[in-house]
Amino acid sequence: MAGRIAQLSLFAVALVIGILLVGQLRSQAPAIELSSLSAQELSQLIETLSNRNVELGDALSDLREQIRSYELAEIQGQSTLDLTEAELERIAAFGGLRAVEGQGIILTMAGSFDAKAVNDLIYELRGAGADAIAVDDVRITARSVAELGAGVIEIDGTALGPTVEIRAIGSPEGLESTLRRPGGLLTLLEQSIDAQFQIEQRTDLELPATRRDLVPQAARSVE
Amino acid sequence: MSRRLPSRRRLTRPQWAISVGLGLAVIGFVGAAQWNSSLARTEFITSAQRVLISEAEQAQRQQETLRAEIEAADERVQAFQEQDAGSQAALLQLNEELAAARLASGLDAVRGPGLVMEIADSLRPVPEGESGTPYLVLADDLRDIVTALWASGAEAITIAGGASGGVDAERVVATTSIDGAGSAILVNSARLTPPYRIEAIGPEGLLDRFLAHPTYLARVARRIEVYGLQFAHEARDEVTLPAFIGNTRMRWGAPVAEAE
Repeated sequence: MAGRIAQLSLFAVALVIGILLVGQLRSQAPAIELSSLSAQELSQLIETLSNRNVELGDALSDLREQIRSYELAEIQGQSTLDLTEAELERIAAFGGLRAVEGQGIILTMAGSFDAKAVNDLIYELRGAGADAIAVDDVRITARSVAELGAGVIEIDGTALGPTVEIRAIGSPEGLESTLRRPGGLLTLLEQSIDAQFQIEQRTDLELPATRRDLVPQAARSVE
Repeated sequence: MSRRLPSRRRLTRPQWAISVGLGLAVIGFVGAAQWNSSLARTEFITSAQRVLISEAEQAQRQQETLRAEIEAADERVQAFQEQDAGSQAALLQLNEELAAARLASGLDAVRGPGLVMEIADSLRPVPEGESGTPYLVLADDLRDIVTALWASGAEAITIAGGASGGVDAERVVATTSIDGAGSAILVNSARLTPPYRIEAIGPEGLLDRFLAHPTYLARVARRIEVYGLQFAHEARDEVTLPAFIGNTRMRWGAPVAEAE
């Protein structure tokens, strides 16, 4: 009898310890992280999260619109192949597999620059909201990076000359103002490398599709 | 006349009593720690901060809900695409093209051989008079790691934050930006905090090629050595990376119509 009581007591004590420890650990992690931020940092975080939520909200609205179109076609007994073809074009354009056209900017860089400058400019344009980018005649995909090849800078196996033209589709004003902002990348590059930059806003840009084979060899889709 | 207890019972009673006593002591200690930490936290948080924390938590929860809704809606769209009343041959071909485009664009979850690495802020004390910034993982470090991985043959990459409040790993796609935001880093506009976990899929030898790549050696490895950034890596037989979740619609451009 006493042994049974001992076992039950130990069980109860261990249970309470476990619950308390889990409670302590769970209350620590994210709460302390947020509470350690200043009011200004919290405001920035909220702005970042809100912007991201707007983007995700837009993506969700697009998907719901697509669902409505498919449902309507189904009700009317129509084929949905046209809708799926449009979706294929859209996804292929997003991934760099289709040529795209639109408005944006042409950034010309001439002089002495390294591969990192080219990669940083690509990241800067993505951060400024560019929909699509091409460096000279090379469409930039997720996997495209500038690197030093046999004495020259290459992207996707194509050598770049001493003058490169980076074309980006996006808000012309937004892209240019991001690049030119005080303390921004262009200012830093102008101070650190011997290159000249020129930006031109355009309404008639056309970017080619990638010539690179993006079919993965090692990665396979998770069904 | 008192009866002697059997020797086994004499020993067990004090043992369990001690165990329960110790357990209660631990409960007391943990309870006190919990109470103290919650007091300390509320003591130094102003009411304005409390409102902001609540807003941030709400925005984070909204983000998780949106991601889940996008995944569900995307599955519905794909289900519609797979069933059409028209020509089955045309449908099959179109769906094959669509699947290939989704895979190449990072819109499908993928699995394969690859690597996992983690990088975190330095634990070294910052010398007096020196800036603490180089002792933190910077957006530039993650950009360099991603650049070296792609150049080493990676086919898919994700970046996750250690204390990102439940936010999933971000898949690196054609529009992915990596920017600094205070002590955090924004990837696809999602706020990630250290430690950063980078996972990649690629052909055999990906880790060795990455570790020998000039971009890694010249910048990341150097910063790890000079500033003591914490860094660990491991090759894996199989990793599974989630699909990109976000906007794939162009706002300022459109696909060029193919000539018939």
